[in-house]
Amino acid sequence: MKSKLPLFGFGLLVGVIVFWAGWKFLDRPYTFRGSVIDPPMPMADFLLVDQHGQPFSLSGQQGKVVLLFFGYTHCPDVCPVTLAEFTRIKEELGAAASQVSFVYITVDPERDTVPVMNAYMRSFDPDFFALTETREKLEEVWSRFGVYQSRQESTSAGGYLVDHTARTYLLDQQGRLVATYPYEMGEADVVADVQHILSAGGVQ
Amino acid sequence: MCSISSLQAGCSEVNRKIRSYLIRLAVTLLISLVAMIALSEGTYLLMREEYDRGPQVFQIVIPAGAAEKVAQGEEIPTIPEDQIFVTGDTLEVINQDRVDHQLGPIWVPAGAKGSLVLEDAEKFSYSCSFSPSNYLGFDVRQATTWQTRLTGLGISVPTTTAFLFIYSLVAFPVEGRKNQGSQEPTT
Repeated sequence: MKSKLPLFGFGLLVGVIVFWAGWKFLDRPYTFRGSVIDPPMPMADFLLVDQHGQPFSLSGQQGKVVLLFFGYTHCPDVCPVTLAEFTRIKEELGAAASQVSFVYITVDPERDTVPVMNAYMRSFDPDFFALTETREKLEEVWSRFGVYQSRQESTSAGGYLVDHTARTYLLDQQGRLVATYPYEMGEADVVADVQHILSAGGVQ
Repeated sequence: MCSISSLQAGCSEVNRKIRSYLIRLAVTLLISLVAMIALSEGTYLLMREEYDRGPQVFQIVIPAGAAEKVAQGEEIPTIPEDQIFVTGDTLEVINQDRVDHQLGPIWVPAGAKGSLVLEDAEKFSYSCSFSPSNYLGFDVRQATTWQTRLTGLGISVPTTTAFLFIYSLVAFPVEGRKNQGSQEPTT
């Protein structure tokens, strides 16, 4: 028995070290994958119209996480790619996606009318919100989110193009801006951040 | 026929051999551990770079009126050009200006703080709204930390132990005990 004591002591020491290392590993604070706004910034409410002609307000999304993107239906590249990423994010979130609002706000209100937005969003996911309004009302929203947009004349059949900010915004259940993501953000990163916010009930 | 006493003797011989192998294994493990720690730490001390450190937080403060100054071509103090970041470093941008600013993927509304964890080791250039050149370069490298060295030991020690153990068995075989009283023939 006496000869087994050092072995028992060594095993105990290894066990304690493994437990401590595991505890430290699991106890690490979550690191957001996106660019974080710290502390989360409350965003002023806005009222726009969705693709069904129904009013949509940011305050109406209280209790839900919001993923927000600015684009336009005639966009040849950035917008369809981002909306396709939104659909994949929704898929990856599974049942938790019911607690997330996917919102797309136009930067081209002259062409993006309610019927156009409705038809466009059916190509991606009819449950996403596609918002439009008058330019005057939209400019307020663009300004709050620091959105750049500039009309570029083009000879293409699709008409003019609009240069615009391509970042995606993540808002928590209290309507606060938590993080932003650049174009082609990587769905896995966004999913991880959204899942973290959902599990934590918001950002502390 | 085998008697009980001869079976017991055989059993004790097997136990003794297993113990010898285990002792041999423990000794080679100890030798490998010491040798690999010495080699790893020696190499680390000789080759150590300035950026071999743990992750840190780097702050960039954009002062009030920065946008006007930049528009006039004035420099805003940011980070030293030769600064080397390591993966895991956090870049914090504190915007004290009255307008939004952007540094690559970090968009910082007026009066807010934005941050980003640098996850990939690479050299890149970010568009920057508070630099007269509109760009800011970053050099992010993979640091050699205690975790890296520990991982190295985790790989090298078992393989070295296995090699030494097999080599020792070939060079110095574990032999059975000679002249055991119970195995001597009786008349």
